[in-house]
Amino acid sequence: MRLQRVSDYLWEIPREGGMKVPGRVYSDGMPAPDDPALQQVANVAFLPGIVRYSLAMPDIHWGYGFPIGGVAAVDGERGAVSPGGVGYDINCGVRVVATRLEAAELRPHVHAVTAQLYRDIPTGVGSSHAIPKLTEAEMDAVLSKGARWAVGRGYVAGSDDLEHCEEGGRLAGADPSCVSARARQRGSDQLGTLGSGNHFLEVDRVAEVYDPAVAEAFGLRLGQVAVQIHSGSRGLGYQVCDEALAELTPTMARYGPEYAAIPDPQLACAPIGSPAGQRYLGAMMAAANFAWANRQVMTGLTVRALCHALGLSEREIGARLVYDVCHNVAKVEEHLVEGRPRRLLVHRKGATRAFGPGDPRVPAAYREVGQPVLIPGDMGRYSYVLAGTARAMEETFGSSCHGAGRLLSRHQALRLARGRSITRELKDKGIEVISRGKKTLGEEMSEAYKDVARVVAVMAGAGISRLVARLDPMGVIKG
Amino acid sequence: MRYALPQPYREIPHTADVGVAVEGASAEEALARLVLALSALLAGGGAVPVEREEEVEVPAGPDPAQTAVALLRELLFRFATEHLLAGACEVLRLDRSGARLRVGFGRYHPERHAEGADVKAVTYHGARFERSGEAWRAQVLLDI
Repeated sequence: MRLQRVSDYLWEIPREGGMKVPGRVYSDGMPAPDDPALQQVANVAFLPGIVRYSLAMPDIHWGYGFPIGGVAAVDGERGAVSPGGVGYDINCGVRVVATRLEAAELRPHVHAVTAQLYRDIPTGVGSSHAIPKLTEAEMDAVLSKGARWAVGRGYVAGSDDLEHCEEGGRLAGADPSCVSARARQRGSDQLGTLGSGNHFLEVDRVAEVYDPAVAEAFGLRLGQVAVQIHSGSRGLGYQVCDEALAELTPTMARYGPEYAAIPDPQLACAPIGSPAGQRYLGAMMAAANFAWANRQVMTGLTVRALCHALGLSEREIGARLVYDVCHNVAKVEEHLVEGRPRRLLVHRKGATRAFGPGDPRVPAAYREVGQPVLIPGDMGRYSYVLAGTARAMEETFGSSCHGAGRLLSRHQALRLARGRSITRELKDKGIEVISRGKKTLGEEMSEAYKDVARVVAVMAGAGISRLVARLDPMGVIKG
Repeated sequence: MRYALPQPYREIPHTADVGVAVEGASAEEALARLVLALSALLAGGGAVPVEREEEVEVPAGPDPAQTAVALLRELLFRFATEHLLAGACEVLRLDRSGARLRVGFGRYHPERHAEGADVKAVTYHGARFERSGEAWRAQVLLDI
């Protein structure tokens, strides 16, 4: 793959062949030209209606169709919507819940807290029944109301949870009637469950504050206990994506030569205005709402688990949602393109919205400083809280990285973990971890991931996000 | 011919997820081994005693690889919703109209299969099902 340096942190894949725009990759050095993810950046540039660039964040790695860490904005009317540009885990995302607790006070109770969280929040393969199975009517309400459904049933951190979710925890374009019986069946007993793979729930401490003024605006201070929850739309979202791909893969060529030229079946797409495109968008947005409800239920279960394990009241825990961001979603957003506002459909596949100061779509409490951008790392090191910038609005359609990005395949990681106790190694570092299976711990160990500090440094160096605070894990539950 | 776990398969290196590749002397053998490779991943190498037999049928995709993906998608749905794993299978028909198999299902057991992978989906990316010399080769990438 041919690469041209644009700046210290930005590399361009020149437009060639069927690419409609160039590719642009954020990286702290020239990306390895043979990285298959770069070919995927070039492939995404074939999407009908794509605007400006096919973008890749510094945590880019090889995905399906789209690279993970990819951003593609298409014209909101004439562009194509690609289920592969959202991914299987629709609205996989992360939230940070701050508390009034001090890390030093919590330290002696970390094992008890982690064990309680593990008991109360189902994890692992096919995890289910955190709450009673949803009836059809309840499922419809979840799919249309998102986080609001869970808040209405008492699953809350503070009084302003909904204001502190991207999009208020609900995409208004959701159409529950587009979600199939099969997708509903996969999701009906999974609300409030973590799942497995890279999903996690962590009890963290605020270990470093880089920007005290912004940290204060976000309600974060040194030594404070916070909880991070990383999960998505579970089986319901997987099924929505799976069915859309099965429909579009064999039929997309009928939309014309631009569609027939798409180089990877996993990039299957349809015109936004087509019946298939509209059906997918309605179902995808409903699945995104399911994911918000899922994280919101887990938030309520977390607060109750903290109360139970520590013998404190909800008031003493003082939980408050800092923010909740999506990693896998396509949303209609207005952005300035060549100085003019344009309505775009922005696909973020393993990327985080990172709107800057002054944007009316940022909650009022954070509007002066830019939205919180939550970047989980790996379970043995740290995660970051960043803030969106005006530069992100200019260069990346207000998008930033979403995590560390994998360095080793799961197979390689397991080989490296052979003969080791990852649980013991983490305990020696002061981190309690409880997981359903040993295999997950091997696959998810620190060495399997890039150092997220380097990833966020690229975003900060490029001016796409500002460093605000670092969160270090104290207790982790995994699937 | 009926095939039962374990059957040979190879994991394809993939940064974030897992791919499986199989070979067979015939298209039917390759398809049966692909089905059982998915089960082997889901079961984490744990045994899958067959409890019941069922026929599973999928229509043909635009090419043989997409037919194979369609079959694995169906079996993954059965796993996700009924916790059923294919412990054995026989390809009854594989032609231009699709695939029909007799599948011996066993049940997922959280302890016996604790090391199993949480497969979210069967992808089309890099999917292959083709003749290669005397053998048939098939592969799929699975989203974990």
